Amino acid sequence: MLFNIKGVRKSFPGVRALSDVSAEINSGEVVAIVGENGAGKSTLLKILSGDYQLDEGTISLDGLEVSHASPLEAREAGFRLVRQEPEIVPHINVIENVFIGEYPAHTGGRVNFTEMQRIVQELLERYGFVGMLDLQQLGRTLSPAQMHIVEILRALKDGVKVVAFDEPTSSLTTREAKQLFTLIRTLRAEGLGIIYVSHRLHEVMEISDRVVILKDGKVTGDLLISATNANEIVRYMVGRDLDAHGLERDEVTRPDIVLEVKDLHSRWHEGISFKIHAGEIVGFAGLVGAGRTELAKVIFGEYVRTGGSISICGEEKNIRTPEDAIAANIGFAPENRKEEGLILVRSVIENTCMAIYSALSKIGILRKKAMVDSALPYIEQLEIKTPSLEAEVGKLSGGNQQKVVLARWLAAKPRLLILDEPTRAVDVGAKAEIYRLIDDLARKGMAIMMISSEMPELLSMSDRIIVMRDGKISDPIEKKDATEENIVNFALGAGT
Amino acid sequence: MKRFINYVGTENLSLIIALIIMVGLIATQTEFFFSARNILNIGQNMAVVGLIAVGMTMVIVSAGLDISVGSIAGCASVACALIVTNYGTVFGGVIVGIGFGALFGLINSVIISYLRVNPVVATLATFSAFRGIAFLIAPGGRPVGVLDPNLGFLGSGRIFQFEGFPGIPVAFLILVAVAVIAHFVMTSTVFGRAIYSMGGNPVAARLAGINLTKMRFYIYAISGALSGLAGVIVTARTSSGQPASGTQGLELEAITAVFLGGALLAGGKGTVMGTLLAVLLLATLSNGMNLLGIATFYQLVAKGLLLVLAVAIGQWRLARDEKKQAKLAESQ
Repeated sequence: MLFNIKGVRKSFPGVRALSDVSAEINSGEVVAIVGENGAGKSTLLKILSGDYQLDEGTISLDGLEVSHASPLEAREAGFRLVRQEPEIVPHINVIENVFIGEYPAHTGGRVNFTEMQRIVQELLERYGFVGMLDLQQLGRTLSPAQMHIVEILRALKDGVKVVAFDEPTSSLTTREAKQLFTLIRTLRAEGLGIIYVSHRLHEVMEISDRVVILKDGKVTGDLLISATNANEIVRYMVGRDLDAHGLERDEVTRPDIVLEVKDLHSRWHEGISFKIHAGEIVGFAGLVGAGRTELAKVIFGEYVRTGGSISICGEEKNIRTPEDAIAANIGFAPENRKEEGLILVRSVIENTCMAIYSALSKIGILRKKAMVDSALPYIEQLEIKTPSLEAEVGKLSGGNQQKVVLARWLAAKPRLLILDEPTRAVDVGAKAEIYRLIDDLARKGMAIMMISSEMPELLSMSDRIIVMRDGKISDPIEKKDATEENIVNFALGAGT
Repeated sequence: MKRFINYVGTENLSLIIALIIMVGLIATQTEFFFSARNILNIGQNMAVVGLIAVGMTMVIVSAGLDISVGSIAGCASVACALIVTNYGTVFGGVIVGIGFGALFGLINSVIISYLRVNPVVATLATFSAFRGIAFLIAPGGRPVGVLDPNLGFLGSGRIFQFEGFPGIPVAFLILVAVAVIAHFVMTSTVFGRAIYSMGGNPVAARLAGINLTKMRFYIYAISGALSGLAGVIVTARTSSGQPASGTQGLELEAITAVFLGGALLAGGKGTVMGTLLAVLLLATLSNGMNLLGIATFYQLVAKGLLLVLAVAIGQWRLARDEKKQAKLAESQ
């Protein structure tokens, strides 16, 4: 056995990311690791590559224990992680990119270019990559598939034994993906161990010999590909007891349509049409990269819409900037609160009121009292823990920061509120409070578009669920018909 | 006392202390320093830098920078002098000077917003170009003499004169008026608060509906207009439109003052009050050094050191806050 992962545990403050994960990879074998968002795939890869340190367990590579290796030691032992987007320096050629950071030199320090070229040429011939890229090509002219080759060449040069691919095809075209598979098969034939992490099941079925399934940080299945099928894998990925730590919502139906998107096109999307009624929560499910956040931003005017129309309450709105969107009564609480949601160096009250400044002012002059009056109720309702209204948001805890973003849009009282991962990095107690608030807003007639990667949250909160995959959407699934299985099936592209 | 501290802000307290220490040091060396005439001189000398620094505060809080302010002032100075000599209208001269400044500020904002050039590079480019224009519009590239008592009043006039009291400089009063308005705009208007928002996090500000392009338009135009007004005062005080003399190096002094006044290089923080205190500190320092007979070359070195010091203090404060934040996160 080449690579042995045994009983690995890893916790982060408040979360158990991996509990007792074991897997083996043999020489000349491709092992796929699959799981939903948050199942622990990335954590596992990061432990293997030395980016994270495990709490318990052992990892051994070719008889050598590497449980507590640093990134450099893991590399030297023969493990290499090929990242989703390999680090390529744009302005130097392939040869130098392969050797970056460790150029061979003549005595006296002059770089030995002939030696570099010889080594790279030799690797290309040995592994059959000849003709797939030109050694003199500059980094910026490389296609994503070629970048992967450069990354693999780096690994091969160091005598790699196990290569792990993290979602390698997410940036590749179908043809490039085929090339990558050829490449993986060559590596396998050379006796390397391959780990292939992906949520594209058809690829997993095509390329791997065995599949290890992770769910909530545990291994739920370890199956030979020849003895299984996509549906069985999905069952292993999902098979959780659906605990409703969301909230049971009454069915509310109101006839008036608040948001109507017709045939929307953008860089990411093709022909998207859907409606959200007043008082309705529509959940958007899908994998990371399916285009959900992008859809929210296109509707909100942050990204360019290339076609189609958006109507609010029956009136078509030409939304081209977030300013237009706010004027059309749309609110948007983004996923990355620090980067996109908050002004960390400014106060709680400013961050709460900034989207409604003009409503709180007379001839451009802000009324302090109006600011406090409109912000305070929500700050209290959300139980935002802050020393004062004037305290800098950057000095609050993560959960409280998230609540400030929500408070901003509660104070703005939009007709349509778009929430992107509203409970990300929020503790359990605050989550329940946020669910109650969202429900309350819907009751008062607000239309809510809720993007979430948390299945229980989607299933319990949404009146209807729309699943996205590769920039397209499924037909809305009614609450009574929604199951984790049919959502995951569509998201993965299995069984449709 | 507590109310006073609340009013000036804790960040500005260190500035006031520095000012008191400096005044003390200088006063022990020269008696003339404390005379009414000298103090009012400091006020007079503050006006030009002060006006520019007020505009610069808005620019820096919005996470921008404007290096071209001195060059704009030079252009405005010449333009004002030309209008007054050729058409005999002081009012026209003042308006044209300020208008020139606003126009040049708009050019800056267009380069930054539409050509997507980084503010430092954009205004470094116009820093050179506008200075060139100042020489081009001055006939023969020489200063334009202008003798008009009404104009002179703006530059070196005094009001409330009585026996034993030399009167308050008009230029200083203009600065005070502008600063009061700017303070109000920054603290209490939608526009002012939006400047803080966009400087703190431009993406979040845009997602909250703030139009960054439009904001930059106004911010750089205001900075330009105030630089123009500063240029007009230079003309008034020296009785000539000066393409270069009197307006060179103003960008350095204004930027130093803004950072010394507590603004963050990254934007989102800074106050008109702090800037003004810093301008006072700088004016006092330079006045003191002059009285003590320290050569201007040393003064240039001192100004450079001060800029580094001002930014370093800001960065140190930031690092300290981050440490506190990390500790807080750990304890939770």
